[in-house]
Amino acid sequence: MELDDLRRQWRQPEPAATPAPLSAADLRQLLARQSDNIVAKLRRNAKVEMAINYALLPLALGMAGLAPVLWVRLFGGSLALTALVCVVYFHRKLGLLRHMSDPAGNLRAYLLRLTTGLRALIRFYYRFTLAMVPLACLLIGVMALTTTKKAVTPTKIWVIGALLAVLCAVIYLLTAHNTKRYLHWLYGQHLDRLEAQLRELDDVPAG
Amino acid sequence: MSAAPSADFLAALHDYQPLVRRVCRLYCQDADDRQDLFQEIVVQLWRAWPRYVPQPDAKLSTWLYRIALNVAISNLRQRTRRPAVVSVEDEAWHLTQPMEASAYEPEETAALYRAIDRLSDVDKAFVLLYLEDRPYEEMAEILGITQNNVRVKMHRVQEKLRRQLVHK
Repeated sequence: MELDDLRRQWRQPEPAATPAPLSAADLRQLLARQSDNIVAKLRRNAKVEMAINYALLPLALGMAGLAPVLWVRLFGGSLALTALVCVVYFHRKLGLLRHMSDPAGNLRAYLLRLTTGLRALIRFYYRFTLAMVPLACLLIGVMALTTTKKAVTPTKIWVIGALLAVLCAVIYLLTAHNTKRYLHWLYGQHLDRLEAQLRELDDVPAG
Repeated sequence: MSAAPSADFLAALHDYQPLVRRVCRLYCQDADDRQDLFQEIVVQLWRAWPRYVPQPDAKLSTWLYRIALNVAISNLRQRTRRPAVVSVEDEAWHLTQPMEASAYEPEETAALYRAIDRLSDVDKAFVLLYLEDRPYEEMAEILGITQNNVRVKMHRVQEKLRRQLVHK
């Protein structure tokens, strides 16, 4: 039996077990359910995270402007800056996800869009996570210097600075390694599969 | 996701639901997975519907095949279920039920379904469009490759199926 033979029976009426056509009510119910598509989930999460950062922004600015202690003010300022960077990041992420989630267009173009989109997301996330490490270390340093009861000498500043730099380097390397592994675990299989499918489609036969 | 589906979308879905079901049937052997994929395709169709612009030289079915295949092949759904428990043989047996007068035994159909199931997702797209009787021109449009490439790849897929059926 060949495909041509199967073609003759392929479009025959479906077996009795096949569900009936969807009514308007069925469809409404179906559309109300949340999609388990990864891009849809990422979009939902990005929206929630962006809302959190928007809410955090005035609080952090308030802390920066009104707190009586210097390190709390600095902490507030850094937090506001981080929240602002996060808002920009999530805006870009949502734009990218919106572009990725449009399945219209031919298969090749869609696979290409998903592959480049996923790669860009991974790059975004990786760089953003790593950029947070020195910022966090700087905050710890400022907190340590402004809260100490002992006299702060230039030597002490240098020692704390050097210790923080070493700590920052170690945390940076660990974060880089773990983030890479995490991202590979999260998206790696999807990216590999999409790239393989694209190669399969692009494979131009000889002759 | 709260807006009510429009009447024209409902009408289109009513007309083309069998097409979407056939795509799901080819890509998922497990009944639950098939229903999940059907749901995902319908959601994506509904989202894309406002941007669909009817054109004299473009069929609605082409647009539907594109979205259905894009969703089925990219398969960005999270796999939480165990692998298929319904065998393709059962499926083939069901499919051959209304075909009592068919010249082929259910076992032959089941063997062909097993062979199709072993193909890659991209190859299955060629099989689906071939079974759906789409001309090479439309297949090229749906898949985003040249007609010549479609012709050669279709030939390769048929060769693969033949080889699998010989070595079964």
